[in-house]
Amino acid sequence: MYKEALEQFNKPWLPLTALFIFVLVFLLYLYWTFKKENKHIYDYSSQIPFEDGVKHE
Amino acid sequence: MSSSSNVNRTGLLETYSYDDQIVRMFVFATIIWGAVAMLLGITIAFQLATWKMNFGLQWMTFGRLRPLHTNAAIFAFCGNAMFAGIYYSHQRLLKARLFNDALSRIHFWGWQAIIVAAAITLPLGLTRGKEYAELEWPITIAIAVVWVVFAVNFFGTLVRRRERHIYVAIWFYIATIVTVAVLHIVNGLSLPVTWTKSYSVYSGVQDALVQWWYGHNAVAFFLTTPFLGLMYYFVPKAANRPVYSYRLSIIHFWSLVFIYIWAGPHHLLYTTLPEWAQTLGMVFSIALWAPSWGGMINGLMTLRGVWDKVRTDIILKFMALSLTFYGMSTFEGPLLSIKSVNAIGHFTDWIPGHVHAGTIGWNYLLIAGILYFLVTKLWKTEIYSKTIANIQFWMATIGLSLYYVSMVVAGITQSLMWRAIDANGKLVYPNFIETVVKIVPMYWVRAFGGTFVFVSFLLMGYNLYKTMQQGSVGIEEVYEAYALDDSSVEKNATQHRKLEGLPLVFGVLSLIAILVGSAIEIVPTMLSNHYISKIDAVKPYSPLELIGRDIYIREGCYLCHSQQVRPMVHEVLRYGKQSEAGEFIYDHPFQWGSKRTGPDLARVGGKYPNMWHYRHMLNPRDVTPQSIMPIYKWLVEQKIDYATLTRKLQVMKQLGVPYSDAQINNGVMSAQTQARTITEDLMKSGVPAEVEDKELVALISYLQRIGVDYGSLPKSN
Repeated sequence: MYKEALEQFNKPWLPLTALFIFVLVFLLYLYWTFKKENKHIYDYSSQIPFEDGVKHE
Repeated sequence: MSSSSNVNRTGLLETYSYDDQIVRMFVFATIIWGAVAMLLGITIAFQLATWKMNFGLQWMTFGRLRPLHTNAAIFAFCGNAMFAGIYYSHQRLLKARLFNDALSRIHFWGWQAIIVAAAITLPLGLTRGKEYAELEWPITIAIAVVWVVFAVNFFGTLVRRRERHIYVAIWFYIATIVTVAVLHIVNGLSLPVTWTKSYSVYSGVQDALVQWWYGHNAVAFFLTTPFLGLMYYFVPKAANRPVYSYRLSIIHFWSLVFIYIWAGPHHLLYTTLPEWAQTLGMVFSIALWAPSWGGMINGLMTLRGVWDKVRTDIILKFMALSLTFYGMSTFEGPLLSIKSVNAIGHFTDWIPGHVHAGTIGWNYLLIAGILYFLVTKLWKTEIYSKTIANIQFWMATIGLSLYYVSMVVAGITQSLMWRAIDANGKLVYPNFIETVVKIVPMYWVRAFGGTFVFVSFLLMGYNLYKTMQQGSVGIEEVYEAYALDDSSVEKNATQHRKLEGLPLVFGVLSLIAILVGSAIEIVPTMLSNHYISKIDAVKPYSPLELIGRDIYIREGCYLCHSQQVRPMVHEVLRYGKQSEAGEFIYDHPFQWGSKRTGPDLARVGGKYPNMWHYRHMLNPRDVTPQSIMPIYKWLVEQKIDYATLTRKLQVMKQLGVPYSDAQINNGVMSAQTQARTITEDLMKSGVPAEVEDKELVALISYLQRIGVDYGSLPKSN
């Protein structure tokens, strides 16, 4: 039954829709990541490895 | 104390210290197991150059040591290095001591015990017969338990952190922990026969897809994502410069984690795996170019402005070269996934060449840089000898170059010889051994290249030991930081920024990202037994053949011989009818293999007389002059294990193999009868009657059965 179902699969719009969703999500998340107003946050984040902690005297 | 411009940290100032002792322990383990893994590597490399290096000892043959080498390199060497790097960076990035010291020790000693168990069981031939997942079920369970201990310790530290933001390196660690757990559990599902023997719950095509979904992603999530995390921490630290683009790291992370998981089927191109799954694997493999190179560029560009230091700073030198090799091997991987390229490269030595460009070029060189960094920090001193480190660097580079070039040349040469067809439509090199003899010189070059790499590693071990000697661990230093309270919450934070403060949600999203691809590929194949055309002629193995098959798995025959005739003219001419999915439905586990050091065996059944196999196993040179296969003389010394046969048949029945109760109850008698028939045939050629109860007879019964059921059908079927 599965074999017949797969053989008769004729819905080209389905993979195309999936592709469209993938591309759309990727573009949205690209836009979101590269928004200019977040610059200070990324600048801060990239400095974290340099803060090993303040030594307690 | 620095803070985001949107955060003014107040509240309780807490003191804490880092557990660096556990990092030191993992550093020691990395050095020891790295040397062992590489020694095993050059041992098996010389075994391929000359069969005499197998020494006629069963626990030293290529088929048993090769899994030990891969397990040692991946899980012992890279695993311990990964834990050392993660535990060092995780604490500092979160300003918190590891969750629980006892769990850290259980993690360490548990992992070492697993490695020792692997080092004992694999040479003894105790294996599941699945590449990179060979360890038998009790050890497989132990791995899962220790991994959970690691996860609890890791996430517990996250909960107790004093830094709200989770730096990008930790995202890669989270993805590693979550995905490795999923891969290990799904691929490890087996039904035990005894304490030392089990059968995969999957069979044939199903088993192949699950195995290579696991195998490919073991590379992705054990050798790549954790090391990318380490790269995002240690390269900026060593260069004293922030990562080139934090934004790119976000894109890099989500793209890589989402795409990588789909690419497994590129290991099964032109096999009987459904065409759609093959194409899906190929397309996503090519898509991997983008995130892989995004990460590589991000790492290398972090060194912008300090390239002069790369010339003089040995740590940066190792890191820069490792990133270059990462870029090269992640370019080559997708290239090899293109079907037309894969048709040439698959089953050849090009693949080990590609793999070692990654494991030596990317993992070993990055680990070398990290180890020099860690040892100088943890022992508070300078590198003992930069000259030795430089000699190590060049020896490793030259050794790897010799390894890689020789394997690419060997792979392409042999592949072109396999497929050469003359004007009359016949194979130009019909005898497989002709194609082996041609590349043996390349095996010598590879072995010497590997020796260079091994010696470079020993130099590093010595250099690190002397560095530790001249330094001092000192007392545990105490740090202070504000407790994580509401004052650490940023105003106007972005959604992703908020997400980074929620490790559990972050982990779940990572899990979803990898499960999408996994589900789409695997779920239909889980149902595949329903839509794979059943071939009536294909019957379950006889009891003796089943025992023989287990011997075939124990000796690691699948590491040099495939069982899959691809739909290519030269393969059909050389081996016979192309393979069909329905042929393998009783194969728990599948034995398609991934390399043809020797010829494919999918149609070997009935091709030669029993006596040919008898002589071949005792001394392959007797029937195939210049063969590089080891001798298997112990197969005529060790008795067939009939004691577990009934249980084996019962387990197979539980897995869906249609053995009747009568077949199971009479299994031993049936096997003994078949053994007698084969022995009587061998006795006509002068073989003594005493071989009747020896393992070689069982192995011959299996070899004579492979591919016979479907292969003997008329072509129209």
